[in-house]
Amino acid sequence: MTTTLADLDRARDIALDLSGWGRRFTFYQPRNFAFWGYLVLVGTGMFVFASSITLKYDAYGQAIALAVTSFAIYAALFWWFTQHIDHYAKLPAKLMVVAFLWGGFAATWVMAANANDSILALYAKSFGQSWALNWGAGLSAPFTEETAKGSGLLLLIALAPRQVRTAFDGLILGAFIGLGFQIIEDIAYAMTSASSQFGANQIGASIDTIFLRMVSGVAAHIVYSAIFCAGLIYLLGRPAEPRRVGRGLLLVATPILLHGTWDSLAAIGSRSALTLLSLLITVIVIALVIAVRVYELTVRRERDFVRDVMTPEQARNVITAAELDAMAGNRKARKAYRKASGKHRERKRTRYVLNAAYDLADELAAARGADTDRVRFARAEVGRIRAGVPSSW
Amino acid sequence: MPDPETDKPSPVSAPRFEPDAGWVPADERLFGVDRRTIAPTLAVFALVIVMSVVLPVVNAKVPYADIVKAGDVVELQGDVTFVPETGWGITSGVRAGNAPLSGEYPATATVEDRAVKFSVHTAPFDGDANKLLDQIETTSEAVNHGRGVQVAGAHTTIVTDQGKQGATARITGPRTAGVVAAFVFDGRGVEAVATGPSDTGPEPTAAVFRMIRSISHPGEGKQ
Repeated sequence: MTTTLADLDRARDIALDLSGWGRRFTFYQPRNFAFWGYLVLVGTGMFVFASSITLKYDAYGQAIALAVTSFAIYAALFWWFTQHIDHYAKLPAKLMVVAFLWGGFAATWVMAANANDSILALYAKSFGQSWALNWGAGLSAPFTEETAKGSGLLLLIALAPRQVRTAFDGLILGAFIGLGFQIIEDIAYAMTSASSQFGANQIGASIDTIFLRMVSGVAAHIVYSAIFCAGLIYLLGRPAEPRRVGRGLLLVATPILLHGTWDSLAAIGSRSALTLLSLLITVIVIALVIAVRVYELTVRRERDFVRDVMTPEQARNVITAAELDAMAGNRKARKAYRKASGKHRERKRTRYVLNAAYDLADELAAARGADTDRVRFARAEVGRIRAGVPSSW
Repeated sequence: MPDPETDKPSPVSAPRFEPDAGWVPADERLFGVDRRTIAPTLAVFALVIVMSVVLPVVNAKVPYADIVKAGDVVELQGDVTFVPETGWGITSGVRAGNAPLSGEYPATATVEDRAVKFSVHTAPFDGDANKLLDQIETTSEAVNHGRGVQVAGAHTTIVTDQGKQGATARITGPRTAGVVAAFVFDGRGVEAVATGPSDTGPEPTAAVFRMIRSISHPGEGKQ
């Protein structure tokens, strides 16, 4: 049976419907209960955090300014990184901001902070102060913080059911929830460090904390939440992601275990600095390896969407079969495609053609597969760059 | 319609209609709200209530039972120790010889007796006891903005049982009174703060001063 262009266009429509790619996200939804829930919880968290900052700014202004600046740069770098790894069915930026704010304000100040304090105090009362210092953090934060962060994804799905469709969406949104949590928690830690030496030597007291949190942060909250939220999507099932309970439970449990190990390192590593350092590096490496594996696991569906959306363009000779394979492939596939083009100048051009083809895919998604002016322009851009004609814009 | 550039039929030129995000199907409305969004929101609120209401209430109901026995010594970071009053409860910090597995004692310890709280904090500090007390006063003023608990009155001298000279001042606040003491041992500052109701009797006050005078650090001889 031959596949006609109409079949390919239909497959594209199905892929766009299923993936939610290109759909705009509207935050203001007064008829959505989750909108009000989100507003109340994030608003309360913002108020608590702002009150704390305002109260302490006069005393620890230097450390707060340093922490806010450092972590703002850190967040910007992370944002760039996620854009870099997500070539496929991209989520709206507004949704990522909503995820970030949940992690930063609701999950921290409204949920986890209260629970952690109570559980730590209960551990100390039940098992003694020393036991609580050894194991309290490792047996409280992983459960409270991961569930607090992950619960945000339930609200995000209710707010954006047409956009949050795959485990990869969960991975990306989870990473942003984790980033928000990490940044705001780090600022709070920097404030605590600033006060640790009676308010004197604020920069000196907080700089180590800021540096350590930045280095370890990549393999901490960001990775934990990304894995947890990908698992949550598998657990719940979405239109583009069939429910897989076993896989979901495994992915939900993994960051809890990683987080618990991380928080107990000082106790596990005991008194040897070398053992502690080795454990620290091992846990970071394991967390990153798992994160890469989960990325590879979840991104396949997104790549299939890219293929389905762009196959009609290949059939219309807008892109070549090799370009389609590169677009829907991994980093290695794109690199191999560029290398195959020979000279440096050609390689550069193939990179630009791929970027233009990704732009076309985004335009097609935004137009729900229709042949709009923007799509025609994006299509023409692919041809222009391939022909080496300078841009007239 | 064929595409003039590729000579292949184009897809449809108008995007398919999709209702906007605010639209709720008639059969999914409950008092105008999208009923599908209620369950996940309530699930999140249930979690919030457990974390922010249930757990703190349970914690408040469970009394602390770590009562100081005669001979107990509390140790802090940098080998700083103090002798807590027998019968008081240790709410943070650990006894000497009972260090966490990391080997490092915590920087803060707190003991309580009913409404009276005695807390000792240690950290590196460059200066003498009076300078440390000034720093504590400055930070306290900046944090409290002239409200709440304040360090008040002139500095007076206090000498520990070990013979170390420190500086002390009164603390005042709404329905709260207390004392703050500062010591510096070889670049390590120690701040001891006791607070309680304004009408606290002489007995807790004497206990607090005994605990302050018990603060010690190895290598500090009589001065």
